[in-house]
Amino acid sequence: MSAAFADALLRPDAPCPAGLKTWNGSDPAQRFAVYRNNVIVSLVDALADSYPVVQALVGEDFFRAMAAEFARGNPPRSPVLAWYGAGFADFVADFPPAAGLPYLADVARLEWLRVEAWHAADADPVPLAEVGACLADEAALPALRLTLHPALRLLRSAHPVVSLWAAHQAEDVSAALGAVDFADAEAALVVREGLDVAILHIEAGAAEFVDKLLRGAALGEAAQASGPFDLPAALGLLLRSGAVVAMTPSRRAP
Amino acid sequence: MTNANPHRPIRGGAKAPAALPKRGGVGLKPEHFRHILDAQPDIGFFEVHAENYMVAGGPFHHYLERIRADHALSIHGVGLSIGGEDPLDELHLDRLAALLARYQPESFSEHLAWSSHGGAFFNDLLPAPYHAGTLARVCAHIDRVQERLGRRMLLENPATYVEFEASTMTETDFIAEVVRRTGCGLLLDVNNAYVSCTNHHRDARAYLRALPLAAVGEIHLAGHAREVDAAGAPLLIDSHGAPVAEAVWALYDFALSLVGPQPTLIERDNDLPAFAVLAAVARQAEIVMARHAKLEVAA
Amino acid sequence: MQKALTAASFAIAFGTAMTLAAAPVAAQDKMADKEKCYGVALKGKNDCKAGAGTSCAGSSKMDYQGNAWSMVPKGTCEKTASPTSPTGFGQLKEFKEKKA
Repeated sequence: MSAAFADALLRPDAPCPAGLKTWNGSDPAQRFAVYRNNVIVSLVDALADSYPVVQALVGEDFFRAMAAEFARGNPPRSPVLAWYGAGFADFVADFPPAAGLPYLADVARLEWLRVEAWHAADADPVPLAEVGACLADEAALPALRLTLHPALRLLRSAHPVVSLWAAHQAEDVSAALGAVDFADAEAALVVREGLDVAILHIEAGAAEFVDKLLRGAALGEAAQASGPFDLPAALGLLLRSGAVVAMTPSRRAP
Repeated sequence: MTNANPHRPIRGGAKAPAALPKRGGVGLKPEHFRHILDAQPDIGFFEVHAENYMVAGGPFHHYLERIRADHALSIHGVGLSIGGEDPLDELHLDRLAALLARYQPESFSEHLAWSSHGGAFFNDLLPAPYHAGTLARVCAHIDRVQERLGRRMLLENPATYVEFEASTMTETDFIAEVVRRTGCGLLLDVNNAYVSCTNHHRDARAYLRALPLAAVGEIHLAGHAREVDAAGAPLLIDSHGAPVAEAVWALYDFALSLVGPQPTLIERDNDLPAFAVLAAVARQAEIVMARHAKLEVAA
Repeated sequence: MQKALTAASFAIAFGTAMTLAAAPVAAQDKMADKEKCYGVALKGKNDCKAGAGTSCAGSSKMDYQGNAWSMVPKGTCEKTASPTSPTGFGQLKEFKEKKA
């Protein structure tokens, strides 16, 4: 029973499943449509909640149609809907009607990282006093390993994703969008500050640096192997955002 | 709270947590988190959908922890697919057990419905035929849930839009048999009862009378939307997007005449109004309860 | 490659970073992260409702019949000067699904 019912839920052209009845002999297909529509509407609503800027960029009608197409082919595998839509960006990248907006998939990737950051585990930032204590042993600094917050995420894009995203948080979205240079490649740092998730634009070299820290490189190693960037500014950003949760000395020099 | 079947103690039996107060409660929505912490409203209890809190950390847990510290809590699952043909999702049951261990809610409830099949989750409460096969599966699933969670659960009667030719039992007989076999309680959703009885042309009062009312541990009230079926007959949709209908208030009044005051949740998921509006509806339910409490004393 | 970094340069960097981190919020806004932004709050996605007006004709949310393949994005992308679109803006020609 459930197999036929489930199959017909996701295929709009499938006939109403057999074996349904109504008290007045009316066509059960119209009543079945309540279920069929609710499944898709609720999944599209879940995607709209996670991808508000993608929706704003393409408009509600296009977004809902695109999201419904995604939902039919990719129903959730888990009842925890917070995590529904992880693959949406890849779907958008390969969705021909959206091909004229080459930045759209990366905006979706950025919004997904925001969802991940929103629900990630909690961790207390390292107290500034502890950072100060580390400075006492100057020679050991390059070998320090920073543990970054579980909510921290990084995205490096060939498109101006942070500017596009930020423009949609502005009061005058049109004006903000007018100022975006589409030739810009941008890197985003996604951090949870207290109860809010912030998206920050960081320079390419700083993004490389954070990426290496995330992979476990020591400070010196990570900084040396990255393109040019403002090290004090990058460290200041991480500390101020509460993104550093531990500083561990390591014996091995870089 | 009454136990429908004292001969069948819940296996895994941790001691029963305190019950929800017989007062009005409100569904907890993130849009109201800050207001509730700031205003400290006098609300009988809050109810959350379990799945929304199955994440590692962040704002949802931050607020729920603080709000729970001051209020009674009901955790209401929407993802176990108790009526489904698939085996129970043990991973999901583990998540649920962890959530219940963390928040120690006064009540845990789920639905007589299915939502998963073949590994896909449909995010809707889908109907099942009422026959011996479904009965055996639902009872086995509830036995497993109560065993794994170490507590009694409440099962909610569904809002349905179609019926099945394969059904051999009425919904009320089915629910009564589930309660008898598993010892679970009943979450009486008065709006669902009204919606289903309208959609299937039944007498809602007779429906309520036929339920295992001694097992009722909580009541839900919500708004519905009104449409028509292919023959022009009313087709009500459990939308949770409107005020509680007058007819549902009347049925609630009738239900309390049978079961007395019960913890009563105001559910609202669509077109969410300000918190004060929902709190006022919860107080309205308490006024109805107070009337029935007096009647109980008089009787 | 970053120019050679000495232990002393890390000490200086940390010192500056801590000054930045300890600065009052108003001053912080003028510093490194001028692009910093917070978006709208996420909602709880699981609930147990059926969407209002989901069953019948006339519903604005009758999504199961929507056909994305014949639609054109019509949002803020129309205001973006996109170098890749034929009009110079984000508007797209209607996409025709190619069926083999």
